[in-house]
Amino acid sequence: MAAQKVIAVVFGGRSVEHDVSVLTGLQFLEALDPTKYTGLPVYIDPLGQWWTGSALTKRSRYPIAAGTAKDLTQLTLDLATPASGRPQFITFQKGLMGEKRTNIPFDLIVPAIHGSNGEDGTLQGLLEFADIPYIGCRSLGSAATMHKIFAKNAARAAGINVLPELSVKRPAKGSFLDPATLEADLKSAFGAIEFPLIVKPCNLGSSVGVGKADDMDAVISSLMTAFRLDNEALVEPFVANLVEYNIAVRRAPTGATVTSAIERPVREAELLDFKNKYLAGGAPGGPKLDAAPSEGMVSLNRTLNPSELSDKQNSFIRTSASKLFDQLSLAGSVRVDFLCNEKTGEIWLNEANTIPGSFAYFLWEAAAKPISFLTLTDELIQEGFALSAARLGATDTKSGGATIFAAG
Amino acid sequence: MKSPAPWHVETIGSTGTPLVWLHGWGYDHKGLGRIAALFEARNINQLYDLPGFGQTPMMHEGASTSDYADRLVELSPKDQKSVLIGHSYGGRIAVQYAAKYPDRVSAIVLIAGAGLQRKRSLSFKIKASYLRMIGRLARLSDRIVKTNLREAYTARFGSADYKNAGPLRATLVSAVTENLTAEAANVKCPVLLIYGAEDTDAPPEIGKHYAKLMQKARFVELAGYDHHDILQRGAYQCEALIKSFLKEIPDA
Repeated sequence: MAAQKVIAVVFGGRSVEHDVSVLTGLQFLEALDPTKYTGLPVYIDPLGQWWTGSALTKRSRYPIAAGTAKDLTQLTLDLATPASGRPQFITFQKGLMGEKRTNIPFDLIVPAIHGSNGEDGTLQGLLEFADIPYIGCRSLGSAATMHKIFAKNAARAAGINVLPELSVKRPAKGSFLDPATLEADLKSAFGAIEFPLIVKPCNLGSSVGVGKADDMDAVISSLMTAFRLDNEALVEPFVANLVEYNIAVRRAPTGATVTSAIERPVREAELLDFKNKYLAGGAPGGPKLDAAPSEGMVSLNRTLNPSELSDKQNSFIRTSASKLFDQLSLAGSVRVDFLCNEKTGEIWLNEANTIPGSFAYFLWEAAAKPISFLTLTDELIQEGFALSAARLGATDTKSGGATIFAAG
Repeated sequence: MKSPAPWHVETIGSTGTPLVWLHGWGYDHKGLGRIAALFEARNINQLYDLPGFGQTPMMHEGASTSDYADRLVELSPKDQKSVLIGHSYGGRIAVQYAAKYPDRVSAIVLIAGAGLQRKRSLSFKIKASYLRMIGRLARLSDRIVKTNLREAYTARFGSADYKNAGPLRATLVSAVTENLTAEAANVKCPVLLIYGAEDTDAPPEIGKHYAKLMQKARFVELAGYDHHDILQRGAYQCEALIKSFLKEIPDA
């Protein structure tokens, strides 16, 4: 049997979605094929410090006070590839003879951090620089999908239906948004101004910082809220009778772009009810956190393969998701979210998540050709190795004819 | 005597080798549902409610794992060689079945399978024999002077399973005192043994012991799982191990 590959799953992180990311990371670790891979949990705490230890695999241990937990070891990622070519983490442990350095070698990183500093191309760029194999989108696709306006423009160019938007930059320090200019800009973007409008930060993944504005004053105050989180924001028309649909898309080992089941997530208010019931630990016999991934929680959170979609809507969602995936050269398991006006049936592409919650495994398990999470993790890892190996090719100076210092 | 009732069974999947799933004590067929669902596309999965659990009525009082194995053979099609997958108590039945009916089984999988005695420390053994003595005295006193001590003893020292066993108490007692060493040595089919490293009910030492006794056994210890969450959080890891094991079985 070939030597087991060590798969470092990196989760947590400096992101508003820190907690969800912990669950996503642990789920990935639990779905690793033990005959092929050894999982290494790597937790980035909200301060940005890196840790490892078997305690990380217990959901009941969170929130972890990493600094005081005796069974956790602090790590740094070695950015200089060792001559062995195998990437490694470095730990320092205090001993009798002073600090002792230990290397923890691994083979591939699984970024399981949602939102900023993880899903936005920064971590991916770092890993590319260090020549460390990783799964999912490369830095370009990650950054492009995180920037909502850039992603929408790319979608438009590919002929995918998206809502019109107005991009607003954070005003320079000491200056304010000018309501008259804003109104004129909105008119030129949307024709006539029809309230309500939706205001979103440009770069955040989740619904954090998103506001609904019923008049100009509210638009300005929502923009100011968004500017606290991001230096660019966008204003979009409000979709009446809103229903959302999500789908996952990826490249199969055959090279073809394939799509998963479609889900209709439960609405915000229903979601709140769900959280009260199951996450706060109220209902006896309700799913315990340590029992996840559980079919029960997954099905309570969403409707899979909703029956109300027409064939035309269904194929619109599938083609649009695949087109965007190809247009932005995405990789991994990407979830693409759509907005729909339930009454008129019109559908717009909303955004793409390159590291979706739970890697959207439940969408793949419910696909027309079901793929188990076990197979999904294996294929994502294989794809990650292949993409990282194919990135640069030869990097020695000779191959570029740029040798200046010749030996001997 | 009327013929015993059939066992309630749920079937998942419609093609492929039949897999027979036997749940642990205190569960019903749903206990193994999470893992079995992962085999829906490639196997016919028969998930039984064992007698006294779920919708299957009890067998006679004190029925042993060996009786369960006999009944399971009667319930299975004669021309079928099964793969049995048992969790904990279900693992005992799988071992009995494989030992008694070698031509009716192609492989067995034990997930946290029970059936062998654990190595106990001397102090544990002393404590246990002391407690057993008190239990016997309580029963004796109940019989002679009509006290109610045995009940109090159970409430104080009985395990949760024992307290909840009701009419299955005799079956439970026969199971926890049973020792399948001889049966294990008679198992001729390939065996996969999966144990959670943090399991305190059926710790990995039992699996290692089984592996030594059995002729064709593979033992795997999964880090970070206990007796119960191995069926939930550990479902995919079990799936991977069972699938790669079944690939090597000629008639599975």
